[in-house]
Amino acid sequence: MRYLLISFFFLGLGSCSLKTTKDLLGVDLSKSIVKNPYFSDIKKDYVYKAKIEVYGNNFGGILIVKKQSEGIHRVVFTTEFGNKLFDFLYEEDNFTVNYIVKELDKKMIVNTFQKDFKLLISEQQNVVNQYQSKNFEVYKTANLNRNNFYFYNKKSATLDKIVSTSKRKEKVIILFDNSKDNNANLIVINHKNINLNIELVKFKK
Amino acid sequence: MRNIMFLGMLFLTFGANAQEVKMNASEISSFKNQIKEVSEKTKTITSDFIQYKHLDFLTEDIKTSGKMTFKAPNWVKWEYTKPYQYSVIFKDNVLLINDGGTKSDVKISSSKLFKQLNKLIINSVTGDMFDEEQFDILYSKTENYNKVILTSKDKNFAKFIKTFELHFNKKTGAVIEVKMIEPSEDFTKIIFSNRVDNSTLSDAIFTN
Repeated sequence: MRYLLISFFFLGLGSCSLKTTKDLLGVDLSKSIVKNPYFSDIKKDYVYKAKIEVYGNNFGGILIVKKQSEGIHRVVFTTEFGNKLFDFLYEEDNFTVNYIVKELDKKMIVNTFQKDFKLLISEQQNVVNQYQSKNFEVYKTANLNRNNFYFYNKKSATLDKIVSTSKRKEKVIILFDNSKDNNANLIVINHKNINLNIELVKFKK
Repeated sequence: MRNIMFLGMLFLTFGANAQEVKMNASEISSFKNQIKEVSEKTKTITSDFIQYKHLDFLTEDIKTSGKMTFKAPNWVKWEYTKPYQYSVIFKDNVLLINDGGTKSDVKISSSKLFKQLNKLIINSVTGDMFDEEQFDILYSKTENYNKVILTSKDKNFAKFIKTFELHFNKKTGAVIEVKMIEPSEDFTKIIFSNRVDNSTLSDAIFTN
């Protein structure tokens, strides 16, 4: 009986530890900075068709990201008709809501989108730990109360995934798919603690 | 120097006037009659459209295109086919959306803003939107088209869309262009082409 209890205790502990690093092997740091190249070109307009699913409700729109100068990004979300729903400005660590439609102007909504898009557009972070698996080089970065794990595909050398976690739990996963020449053609932002999923498909020329 | 600038400004003003002239009272009244007649006899419309979204910070306008279908009195379907598949049917107080295969219904009665926008989108298809209680309206004409500028009197709505600009074919009275301008001066411009009136359209087109 006592052994059974002890095993349950360990099982419990096991499920508390962070899933993200479970199958990863810690290695020495090979670089001090990890980069996200997908929204870093000033010359490009990044335009995506967005599909958002929140607690079973679907809505769509167009997400536009533009790097205006070093350290400055605009993130604008419009309806399919082009009507602006929000217009965010990121300047280094400053964040400004240029515009948000009254219907979306709720603290929780703004905070969630603000954090998601900050993670999406942040170009570089300091690496604190490094890991490896069969297919990935993984770089861990530390922010205020979140850790981010950048999964670089060994074969294609593309950034395939960013996992944002608290100490014990995965909070947000961003998947980059079908990436070529620093363009991510499909991006999925998946929330683990709330029922929110954002799918972004790049406009074809 | 000041004189030269004054002359320059004078020419600029004349230049603008030569292109666009305000309608006088009788022109406004006959134009309104024309639109009223056209929208009364228009039972259905199908038309292609190209939409340009202009944002001042972008290098290029965002271009999407598709087909618009209208059936009197007030059913409208916007179907985007490039660069993605998306359609929205405005039907009574519901929006029927098909977003690349994901279908949903949205009741629009809950939001005054979207209710207003939907009404305007429906009305702009026929051009019958000269509601002077809701808008300040300016009528003008150019060599090629008649132009109406509607500025919303509702302060909340004006934060969303400041003005609507509609261009009408002088001869047929058909809407050829709709421009929605935001307070920031960013805008959406929709240009219609290949319009066909009063062909037979089945109700099934307006189901999701």
